[in-house]
Amino acid sequence: MTDQNIIEISGVEKRFGTFVAVRDLNLELKEGEFFSLLGPSGCGKTTALRMIAGFQDHDAGSIRIAGQDMANIPANKRPANMVFQSYAIFPHLNVGDNVAFGLRKLGLGKVEMQNRVAEALEMVELGGLQSRKADELSGGQRQRVALARALVMRPKVLLLDEPLSALDKNLREAMQLEMRRLQQKLGITFVMVTHDQYEAMTMSDRIGVMFQGKLEQVDRPEVLYARPCNRRVASFIGGMNFLEARVRADNGASVEVDLQGFGPLTIDVNPNAISRSPDLLAGIRPEQLEISATRPEDYDASLQGIVSDIAFYGESVHYYVRAEGVEDPIAVAVPNYFHTVDYKRGDQVWLGVQNASVIDLGAREG
Amino acid sequence: MSTPLRRPFRFPWLFTYAIGYLIFLYLPVLLLPLFSFNDGTIVAFPMKGFTLKWYAQLGAQDTLLQAMGNSLIVGAVTAVVATALGLFAARAYVRYSFKGRELSEGLVMLPLVIPGIIVASSMLVLFISLGLRPSLTTVILGHVFLALPFAVSIMKSAFDDFDQSLEEAAFDLGESVIGTFRRVTLPIVAPGIVASLLVTFTVSFDEFVLAFFLSGNQPTLPVYIWSQIRFPAKLPNTLALGSLLLLASVVLLLTAEYFRRRSTKSAK
Repeated sequence: MTDQNIIEISGVEKRFGTFVAVRDLNLELKEGEFFSLLGPSGCGKTTALRMIAGFQDHDAGSIRIAGQDMANIPANKRPANMVFQSYAIFPHLNVGDNVAFGLRKLGLGKVEMQNRVAEALEMVELGGLQSRKADELSGGQRQRVALARALVMRPKVLLLDEPLSALDKNLREAMQLEMRRLQQKLGITFVMVTHDQYEAMTMSDRIGVMFQGKLEQVDRPEVLYARPCNRRVASFIGGMNFLEARVRADNGASVEVDLQGFGPLTIDVNPNAISRSPDLLAGIRPEQLEISATRPEDYDASLQGIVSDIAFYGESVHYYVRAEGVEDPIAVAVPNYFHTVDYKRGDQVWLGVQNASVIDLGAREG
Repeated sequence: MSTPLRRPFRFPWLFTYAIGYLIFLYLPVLLLPLFSFNDGTIVAFPMKGFTLKWYAQLGAQDTLLQAMGNSLIVGAVTAVVATALGLFAARAYVRYSFKGRELSEGLVMLPLVIPGIIVASSMLVLFISLGLRPSLTTVILGHVFLALPFAVSIMKSAFDDFDQSLEEAAFDLGESVIGTFRRVTLPIVAPGIVASLLVTFTVSFDEFVLAFFLSGNQPTLPVYIWSQIRFPAKLPNTLALGSLLLLASVVLLLTAEYFRRRSTKSAK
């Protein structure tokens, strides 16, 4: 990644009739960055990607790629190529001709064209499959052909629309790592649209979270997870328990609060929080809570409750604990090694939490 | 795949009805080829013996060959024009949503339900008032009108299963709008185009009413056959000719169906 901006989007808006699909989108992407647009379906992320690609024009604002305004430049003249959700492999062409499709317009010699196709197929580990027919490809191979067909154009920006959603879980996880590796090797900017938080977190340098046409937060995955800007972002990424926190004293960088159910705690002020109110919303990740049969020692605060539900996830077990003064059961995730923790429904348990595990999410509403 | 239902056979009278229905539909048609091999000019049982002479005589009749030539020209031009129009119309119907789309689709399909005699007589009036004398050209115009609904519906089913991102992908890879149509759209809907050509050709080739009104002194094959039915001696020849046309129509339509199915399969 360099410090050079490759994509600059400012004030972009897109309306379909009266429906605002994307509102006031501002985004700067660095050369060589892997960026993901994450959000639920219908949040405008695909529309945003299609505006960058040139399949949709924007109603306001500007999109610049490599310093050039894209306003009147159609998709076939932009230095960006796209991998489609359906892969859009041309069914009447074999693998080699699919990959060579865009090269034919570049006026290359036959040998050079063949070399570039071979090189692109090597890159996605489909070396030598030039003559394979389109309908003989597996889902994973189709994905790779789509990738090779776009990368062979040597774009400045590669756009990916839910590139892995059609693959089964194991293949998807393998491809996540492989695409990340490929992106780092090539140093091309990848902009990916996904609704899968894990996909976004494992692959991206930065993630932009979108809701209802608005880009709510742009950050590195670790920051997004540790310091989400509001309730929506916090609940979309990872699990989160939401609790009310009454502010007792404001120390500047931290506040002393009375946390619902847990009592007094001192928590760091979250610089990302969008809005402020006298009292605040606090979040605790399920894996940051300690569960024990007796009152936990060495924790900054604790509460007593009753196990109301248990969900087994394989690598972890989630206990849902009802406690006095808290409306929703509190979720606790316990790693599943050797079944050292084993509570039954109805068991009396204690939950412990540290100051540092409580996230300030700003105002309770919004 | 659903398993075939055996239920109808629990009601024997339904089975009988179905068989009777099929006999009623197809027996008259099957009599045509049957009597074309009959060694006699009277179409009645008992038949007199097997002969191929009625077929053999066909090749020697100049007016028949001329009518055949007219029909081939009309059919070919109609097929090409109707399919070209149908291709663009169908792409627009499937790809774009625009004001009046449903109305326009309905209007395109209308010739299927308007009585042929009404269309034929009003076209004749229209063409004459435009100064167009009845000829093969007017027949072609009429047949294009009649064949268009077939072309549009076949091409629509070809486009229905056509993933729109294929065209976007081609455009994204630097191809122009026209180049995208040529290199991606056309090859993928090609089987649909072949199916449409064959069906519209058959529609035109078998059409009688419009051709009768609009052909003037250049009869097409069905108009020629009609004119020959008046002469009892020529009837066996006409039966032989009709049988050949029947065979050709069935083969063409089966081929069209094969391509139509291929087009829906390949576009996925």
